[in-house]
Amino acid sequence: MAAPSIACPFCGLVCDDLALADGRVDAQGCAKGAAGFARTSSIVEHRVSGRAASLDAAAAAAAALLRAARLPLISGLAADVAGLRALIALADRLGGVIDRWGSAAQLANLALLQREGGMTATFGEIANRADVMVLIGSDPAVAQPRFFDRLVRPRRALYRAAAPHIAFIGRDAAAPSDPAVSERILVGDDRLLDTVSALAAVASGQKVGPEIATAAVRGLADRLAAARYGAIVWDIAAFAAPLRDAATSILLHLLRRLTRKTRCIGLPLGGENDAQGASQAMLWQAGWPGRISFAESTPRHDPWLYDAERLLAAGEVDALLWASAFSPTPPPTTSVPTVALLAADAPPTTAAVEIRVGIPGIDHAGTAMRADTVVALPLQATRPSALPSIAAAAAAILAHLAVAA
Amino acid sequence: MITELAGGTVFDPANGLAGETRDLVIADGQMAAATPGARADRRYDLRGLVVMPGAIDIHSHIAGGKVNLARLMMSEEHRDSVTARSAITRSGSGVASPTSFVTGYRYAQLGYTAAFEPAMVPSNARGAHLEMADVPMVDKGAYLMLGNDELLLRLIAGGAEQERINDYVGWMLNATAALGVKTVNPGGISAFKFNARDLAIDAAGPQHGVSPRQVLQALSRAVFELGVPHPLHVHCNQLGVPGNIETTLATIAAADGFPLHLTHAQFHSYGGEGDRRFSSAAARLAEAVNRNKHVTLDVGQILFGQTVTASADTMAQYRNRAFAKPDKWLIMDIECDGGCGLVPFRYRDHNFVNALQWAIGLELFLLVEDPWRVFLTTDHPNGAPFTAYPHLIRLLMDKSFRNDCLKAIHPAAQQATVLGSISREYTLTEIAITTRAAPARILGLAGRGQLGPGAAADIAVYEPAADRERMFAAPRHVFKNGVEIVRDGAILAAPAGATHVVRPEFDAAIEGEIRRFFDDHMSVRLDHFRLSESELADAGLRLVAEACRPRSRA
Repeated sequence: MAAPSIACPFCGLVCDDLALADGRVDAQGCAKGAAGFARTSSIVEHRVSGRAASLDAAAAAAAALLRAARLPLISGLAADVAGLRALIALADRLGGVIDRWGSAAQLANLALLQREGGMTATFGEIANRADVMVLIGSDPAVAQPRFFDRLVRPRRALYRAAAPHIAFIGRDAAAPSDPAVSERILVGDDRLLDTVSALAAVASGQKVGPEIATAAVRGLADRLAAARYGAIVWDIAAFAAPLRDAATSILLHLLRRLTRKTRCIGLPLGGENDAQGASQAMLWQAGWPGRISFAESTPRHDPWLYDAERLLAAGEVDALLWASAFSPTPPPTTSVPTVALLAADAPPTTAAVEIRVGIPGIDHAGTAMRADTVVALPLQATRPSALPSIAAAAAAILAHLAVAA
Repeated sequence: MITELAGGTVFDPANGLAGETRDLVIADGQMAAATPGARADRRYDLRGLVVMPGAIDIHSHIAGGKVNLARLMMSEEHRDSVTARSAITRSGSGVASPTSFVTGYRYAQLGYTAAFEPAMVPSNARGAHLEMADVPMVDKGAYLMLGNDELLLRLIAGGAEQERINDYVGWMLNATAALGVKTVNPGGISAFKFNARDLAIDAAGPQHGVSPRQVLQALSRAVFELGVPHPLHVHCNQLGVPGNIETTLATIAAADGFPLHLTHAQFHSYGGEGDRRFSSAAARLAEAVNRNKHVTLDVGQILFGQTVTASADTMAQYRNRAFAKPDKWLIMDIECDGGCGLVPFRYRDHNFVNALQWAIGLELFLLVEDPWRVFLTTDHPNGAPFTAYPHLIRLLMDKSFRNDCLKAIHPAAQQATVLGSISREYTLTEIAITTRAAPARILGLAGRGQLGPGAAADIAVYEPAADRERMFAAPRHVFKNGVEIVRDGAILAAPAGATHVVRPEFDAAIEGEIRRFFDDHMSVRLDHFRLSESELADAGLRLVAEACRPRSRA
């Protein structure tokens, strides 16, 4: 019997073919996964004002701190689905703001879906079907080291005989080194939007000058038109923030035009630290994928007003509940009274309340969502641990709020 | 704990009660036999009030990836229609795409105590169940979508014996904790991924050459032989296409006598006649259903106003994109096993097609003779949000109201429907059948949809009113497992409902073949595709397995 396979939550691919034998995880050559599973539990003590405390005492202190706030912020959100469900419940009960830390790029992609819709597909569909792939802006393997193994080189592709043609558009320094990439259209960051725009224009049959619609761009447009199933993969963060709306809109236009005659789908990169679990759980519980305030007893969304980073920088919130298990990221430096739910390998912080939590998929079982949003994978405990999950810690805080109410 | 519901006018069709005055007794969450002289801990005086089992929605898109995409795209209604939290309830938003908690609250506030998600994509099963864990107050469950999954098409193409197909379907139902099997545009969702824009019922699909008819035959027989109570739940090919009645009738024939449930039949009852090449074929379908006793249908009534259509049928949704309002749409190809498409819609009474769709749905309700074989749905949210059910009930029960509404629609649609000549009005007993007793029976839900001893005490109590919309919009009391959860529209408690599943028996040897397929082609391992009982319990789900009785055709 083969060693049982386990899922890895340390990037948006959530590969589930890692081998677990004698308590050791073989990360299939992925440095990011190996580093994730090598994370230690150096600090397991909960602390209140710097002094060791039981989980119950820490949860009581957290509840008192958060209840006293006029507008608490719940952020970080590098959590499994159970943790996210519990954190949103807490935000609702507290009348706080909830927003995932570092969600700007993800929300730019989601804003496109909100505004215009899209044409997309899941990893398994792309891996088995795509015969032409265009990578825009960055090397997917930087954030998702096994991207090419998982999406380009499945064990046996169902619907294509040959390897796909893969083209990259972006700056030289960001170009993928994977041998599967057979074409590079190298343009500086300042020309990225123009080049994508030219590709869309040519594919739409518009007349575009040769200076921007180069022979390579024209050739790629022809390839997409001739593909049975094209896939356009983009890193929205490669576009300057003010250009992101335009970029996603142009990409969708390209997809719509190609779909008139053949099939072509788009896949935005992302999904680190269960970012999709966060957006999905917020959508089903509150109706928005992030940047939600419950201050007026109802969910209210504002992509600018309820941006966690802005709220904290502007001093508009007076308490912070920080939750991060998939990443050992400590809360941002702030003078605002803070409750931190932290992985046990995060450095000590100055948070008033520090609750050390387990890592889903290492210390306890859980669920994480892949970057394609459709597939949620089970995570299992790979070592014995007494650390509470984020869900358990949030539930303990909620219980203390209920007692006091 | 003994609760007595005294003196109500009881409509409990499964037990033959059609408006008789009865005292009902609840003991520990279940209906119990009335014992003369026994003392109740709590007594409700229901004299003059109508008592029915809690209502059951057989087809309502309440959870899963496509519902979340609908929420994302319907941002206007999530901004404009919000629900405040209370000491015992969560906040939320939305109407056509309500958030999970609001979904449970609104159903309960209408007297519904169960709702079933009809289109769970295999690869999205875990996500759908996690989401349903946050739908409170109602029982729930999901039908697993098969018929566009690569392995089934491959088995059929390879000439697999029916036994092996049964084993595969049985394995999939167990792995995904599903209650039944649905097929959506059989073969068509897969074909769309190969750039086919239409798939006729006898057309050979791409790659495997399998036709929709072959898929229908294999699946309807598998569901029957595994003994899954609910017949194959079929969303026919060519949804929304003028003239699709021929496909719908051919679908009935394709099942070759095996039980079949035609879902949102309104969208599949179109002729291609008249000046506008769009006509009602409701009478033809109703006639076929009246004749074929093994066929049931739910209507998928449209009602005028804003909604969003959320469907696995990417082929149909891509075709419908031109009608999107607001003008945005989304198509997603999923994991070699399904897809989803979102198109916001605004049905308008002055639009000929929409007006005739409205009339076609009502014709179906009124022309199918046996209320046990027609179910009240709007295919939430595709025809209208489920919150419109009281209005729909009035349309069925009140001929003069219906005819007044008919006069307000597009004049050419008025000419194109026989609706005005139909005098039938649903009785309270028929409403109790179509929304309670019959759904429980067709889904095989033990102890639901009826109030006999031993049944779950899921009960709705209404104050009779001539305006049936007003009556059904605001039950006086709603009980879930014997606990009063709603009174006069106010939520008193928000308990979690059960999740209904089936666990049919099958030859476990099929797992080796499925495992090889997953190892070679799929992006997840079989052991991670399969849901475990413990993870479902950890998510807060309580599973109730309904009995399967394997059958062979006599």
